[in-house]
Amino acid sequence: MITLSHYLILAAILFAIGVVGIFLNRKNLIVLLMAIELMLLAVNLNFVAFSHYLNDLSGQLFVFFILTVAAAESSIGLAILVVLFRNLSTIDVDDLDGLKG
Amino acid sequence: MEASVLHFFEWLWGPYWSTLWAWFKPVWPLIWVIMKIVAILVPLLLGVAYMTYAERKILGFMHVRIGPNRVGPLGLLQPIADGLKLFFKEVILPTKADPALYFMAPALAMAPAVAVWAVVPFFDGVVLANLDAGVLFLLAVSSLGVYGVIIAGWASNSKYPFLGSIRSAAQMVSYEVAMGLALVCVLMVSNSLNLTDIVHAQGRGIFADWGVGALSWNWLPLWPVFLVYLISGVAETNRAPFDVVEGESEIVAGHMVEYSGMAFAMFFLAEYANMILVAAMVTVFFLGGWLSPVGFLPDGLPWMLAKMSLMLFLFLWLRATFPRYRYDQIMRLGWKVFVPVCLIWIPVVGVWMMSPFNIWE
Amino acid sequence: MDLKTIIFYVFAALLIFAALRVITARNPVHAALYLVLAFFNAGGLWLTLQAEFLAITLVMVYVGAVMVLFLFVIMMLDIDIKRLRQGFWRNMPLAATLGVLMVAEMALVLSTDYFGPVAFPGTKMGADYSNTRELGRLLFTDYVYPFELASIILLVAIIAAVVLTLRRRKDVKHLDPVQQVAVKHSDRLRVLQMPAEKEGE
Repeated sequence: MITLSHYLILAAILFAIGVVGIFLNRKNLIVLLMAIELMLLAVNLNFVAFSHYLNDLSGQLFVFFILTVAAAESSIGLAILVVLFRNLSTIDVDDLDGLKG
Repeated sequence: MEASVLHFFEWLWGPYWSTLWAWFKPVWPLIWVIMKIVAILVPLLLGVAYMTYAERKILGFMHVRIGPNRVGPLGLLQPIADGLKLFFKEVILPTKADPALYFMAPALAMAPAVAVWAVVPFFDGVVLANLDAGVLFLLAVSSLGVYGVIIAGWASNSKYPFLGSIRSAAQMVSYEVAMGLALVCVLMVSNSLNLTDIVHAQGRGIFADWGVGALSWNWLPLWPVFLVYLISGVAETNRAPFDVVEGESEIVAGHMVEYSGMAFAMFFLAEYANMILVAAMVTVFFLGGWLSPVGFLPDGLPWMLAKMSLMLFLFLWLRATFPRYRYDQIMRLGWKVFVPVCLIWIPVVGVWMMSPFNIWE
Repeated sequence: MDLKTIIFYVFAALLIFAALRVITARNPVHAALYLVLAFFNAGGLWLTLQAEFLAITLVMVYVGAVMVLFLFVIMMLDIDIKRLRQGFWRNMPLAATLGVLMVAEMALVLSTDYFGPVAFPGTKMGADYSNTRELGRLLFTDYVYPFELASIILLVAIIAAVVLTLRRRKDVKHLDPVQQVAVKHSDRLRVLQMPAEKEGE
């Protein structure tokens, strides 16, 4: 019998993997973006699981909106990445120190 | 249908049937699904094989030459000979290639092209999975086809395949937008995401009541969208005149340059399976699926096949007629012509449906 | 163990494996492809939760569009993987400790009876229940303003992405077809009136 806890713990593991990914790949902007996608996926999994077990479709609608915003986020993120690479020819986070402060 | 198949087996096995049935009863649903899959896939793969033959014959006819006529009567065994030849050829792995992805790419190209057929209705109720969100499934799975091309191009580690894969990534994603927006109009008038319901919705209307059902299918009221979908379908399958992904004269054969033997054959199969799929989709969405064009003839599978054949002939005709588009013109056509046309037609259909002239009641 | 449990564990195991490979893969292209696998498995899990509309949408939006974009960008950039992997193993102990701690704490909280089968028994929908229809009804009635807002966000994202990456290169020699077509013969051709013979002959 699969209960809500199963899904929530799975989402927690997924979220933790996303956080660890940000720690490990501190320099690689692309993998950072992908780790963020993993964390969003974990959140979405939580929403869908709660929506199913509470019998309330609002959770699924939230996932719908998160998907929209996340798609927008990654498209703009990648656009910034492309512009960055065009100007600096690097995607290393350490090189992005143009703003001193 | 399930009952008659069981009856046939009972007749086939005679006295042994009861023992066999006792064994097979628990797994029968699985066997039944597999049988249905085979019943769809075998004709599909045969269709793919003979599509290559038809292409060469029809192109030959249009070029005023004979086409393949050596192997078998009228060259009818040519596809089998080609298949055997490719089967016995060595699959070469380039030294600098990424081996795992290199061998995965053909499978990734082939799998979606076959998987989509799960939701295609051939006749009323004759469909593997009658999904409520069939159109979404179709869009989702057919958008996976691009991975085979991208991965093939990248894993080959060679410049022409790479150029081909970059081109295909941009082209297929762009035309998916136009296709999706075109389908929105169809969904609005048929009030469902289920492909069977979409066909049924086309059988209703004033013209259908008069006995000329062909005029109440979606192609007439949604004419601009029909054209957009048809042309986007050609672009989505990377067929001429949008075949810049392969473009023999510029980038040799695009993502397939480094592939040989069966790996190459898989890409080939996927392309033709996708072509047949687009023909089936145009038939289901705009040409009334299995519905009969005139009232006094019965509906049936032959109509579906006839309409699909017509569409496939149209694809070959396009290839024989038009020169290849330039790449920037392809992108301009997708984003600056097709997307606006769809975006304009959606409110037009919406207002039409709200007005007293609504023909989809 | 019933079939649903087995399916859950298979999808969950594959999901965690894929997620781990996303953050540890040496090559970003491999990482992106593992992320695709992760999305697929998440979609499968959502199907077991009877959210088929969202499961298919996830595959369509993420696998069909966003990840293609990711791959496209990764392949276009010429990046030095070795340099980007510096510090990977140095950060490993801290990151692993943190991750394990996070999971352990969450598991402690989440495995209590508050989230158990008694408090959340789950729902079983009838055969005629259409997830797509219900979502659509809710989306276009109660949530119509958020829906419009989401569309505006998407529009802003489209415009922002285009504006950010659009550039007109100055070093490219190309002809403007509009100018070419709009040219008049009087711009290019000067008709001179000349006598047919030399004067005086």
